[in-house]
Amino acid sequence: MNARPSPVLAGVRHNPGFAIALVLFGALYLVYNMMHPRGFSGAVLIQNVNESVAIVFLAMAQTVPVLMGGLDLSVGAIMTLTNCIASELVIGTPGQIAFGMAATLASGTAFGLMNGLIVVYGRLQPIIATLATGAIAMGLALFIRPKPGGRVDDDISWALTNDLYELVATYGWFDADAGWFQPVAWIPVPLIILVVIAFGVWLPFRRTVTGRTIYAIGSAEGAAFMSGLPIERAKIAAFTLAGFFASCGGLYLAIQTSSGNADITQAGAYTLNSIAAVVIGGTSLLGGVGGAIGSLVGALILRVISFYFRILSIDPLLQPLVEGVVLLTAVSLGVFRTLQVKNRLDLFR
Amino acid sequence: MRAIRMTTAALAAFMVSTTLSFAGPQIVSGPGADPECFAPWSADTKYMQWPAKSGPFKIAVVNGFVGNTWRIQMIKTAKAFAEDPSMKDKIAEFKVVSTGTDAPAQLGAIEDFINQGFDAIVTIAVSPDGFDRVIRLADRNNVVLVPFDNVLDTDAVMQVNEDQLAMGRTWAEFLVKELAAQGKTSGKILEVRGLPGNSVDRDRSIGIHEVFDANGGPWEIVQVVGNWDDGTAQKVTADAIAVHGQFDAIAVQGGSTGVVQAMLDAKHPMVPIAGESENGFRKLVAQHAGDGLKGISIGQSPGLVAIAMKAAVAALEGNVMPQLISVPLPVADYTTLKDGENFWSNLPDNFFTVNEFPPCGVNVSGPAIMAQSEADVK
Repeated sequence: MNARPSPVLAGVRHNPGFAIALVLFGALYLVYNMMHPRGFSGAVLIQNVNESVAIVFLAMAQTVPVLMGGLDLSVGAIMTLTNCIASELVIGTPGQIAFGMAATLASGTAFGLMNGLIVVYGRLQPIIATLATGAIAMGLALFIRPKPGGRVDDDISWALTNDLYELVATYGWFDADAGWFQPVAWIPVPLIILVVIAFGVWLPFRRTVTGRTIYAIGSAEGAAFMSGLPIERAKIAAFTLAGFFASCGGLYLAIQTSSGNADITQAGAYTLNSIAAVVIGGTSLLGGVGGAIGSLVGALILRVISFYFRILSIDPLLQPLVEGVVLLTAVSLGVFRTLQVKNRLDLFR
Repeated sequence: MRAIRMTTAALAAFMVSTTLSFAGPQIVSGPGADPECFAPWSADTKYMQWPAKSGPFKIAVVNGFVGNTWRIQMIKTAKAFAEDPSMKDKIAEFKVVSTGTDAPAQLGAIEDFINQGFDAIVTIAVSPDGFDRVIRLADRNNVVLVPFDNVLDTDAVMQVNEDQLAMGRTWAEFLVKELAAQGKTSGKILEVRGLPGNSVDRDRSIGIHEVFDANGGPWEIVQVVGNWDDGTAQKVTADAIAVHGQFDAIAVQGGSTGVVQAMLDAKHPMVPIAGESENGFRKLVAQHAGDGLKGISIGQSPGLVAIAMKAAVAALEGNVMPQLISVPLPVADYTTLKDGENFWSNLPDNFFTVNEFPPCGVNVSGPAIMAQSEADVK
């Protein structure tokens, strides 16, 4: 046994909301697969993951500012902006494609950095600052792509939205039918992308001083300041990271749809859903508690609920109502922690 | 090739037995089946044919945005038509989902229904692009995908729509004719547009401008954006009247009831007007036509969903189908409006009067839809 528990376990212990979300997701997804005519098959898994990638990235993006007790209303707009940028750039020679992807991620990250600078040096409330910058991002997106369209490299688009088998077969790296490869050939590429970015970017980040400072700001900004923590740096980093995650969502959306679309309604819907996913994933809107992995699960729960409408016969006009009730229930599960608090003052945390 | 490899992989990993063939539609020569109902868009429209399947079929409707009257009426029409005697026996399972304005969710829902083994999927696309992957999967599984209303910028799938350009032209031609009858060959026109960036809004507007540009003039056309919504259209019309004083005629893409309301509020003289097919608009035209509100009403019908379902079934039965199906424009003007027939003074303003297409055997009328409670249509 390690003396120090793993960050994941520690996260569960500190945040029962995350554990509840994980169990809820597991149960919902298991039942969905059991009821689906082709449940537990690669095709269903690929479809499910593809549908979830964009909202998962946005939920992770939203988590970082929420942990500081702020909200980022521009995540949906940054996703849309980077989606439009990618629809212009991710095409051509492999070098151009790589450059296009890097440029897409860099532009979203830079936009997040700008958000951070405005919040810190402009001394604006994050919710107001990002409302304004979100409108700017939408304006830029419409400028780049006034009408839906554009093109993304066909091979990239096909290979990254399928399983590993198709990735290998598309690019011919080695014989995709090789026996040793079969046990992993079914894994969807988008799932790998999600896991690598979630665990490869978020977990190392939250262990840094900057990352811990984000939590400290959310818990008690004054105390964090008095403790000499780098508050300004952490705030800027939080919005920058949000911009990065949002641009991952935008890039994937472009790859998935082979096009860009400056859809204002969709941007708004994704921003709101990202907040819902953050809450379901066990992150407190007051800040200080939670994490991006929880939001990943929260976003998956949001998606699984809508999967059910396709296998059950629920009146189409009642579906939004049913979805709302299920969501409310899911969010309410997190409230059970209030039943076990020893000191009522804990509730204000 | 990918289909075969993908199948082998799936088999190896999961032992799922599915029969994937990758046929998709054949491009064939016309004419198509039932040309009265499934009219080709133009002489260049190509024809498609899917391998015939025996019914009954599993059909899904994947809607995007939900929450305005048009979409709700569309969903109710779809459900009622699925119960229609002409369709009931051909449908084994019928599902309707609304994904909201969310491209990944809509694409996901379509792919999910393909995975579930549905035979046909009828959809209103949230974006004119981005469906390459699901089109490929649909073809591979011989699933008939039918976008309607907001159609895709592709000729790889069978689609159903009304000709928006022709709608704009018909509106403008009517206004030009009515103005000529008043002895006016030039003047100031108010154009109330729809949702910006949308192909429907674009095409209707192009049609309107084409006709005015070609007929007399000079016409000063003032454009405002009404988002196809009564409230917005009413507000922008009131603003336009306040700024410009008086217009010789008005062309509205949608939210027509609101526009007339704004004219009445501002005591704007009753002038020729072209608008959509809202019941309220037709009521007002019928009421004020004598005062000069000579109106034409053409609608994008929520009943298009029924034509799309019918086309999907026809395609599954192996009939030759036009790739782009043009549904005739349902036109009514102040001379043909009749209470209880093409508008209903006892029904709410905001429902869409045109719902049925007799040449297609689609007879789910507007009032029938409004009268049915949720329990009835289930």
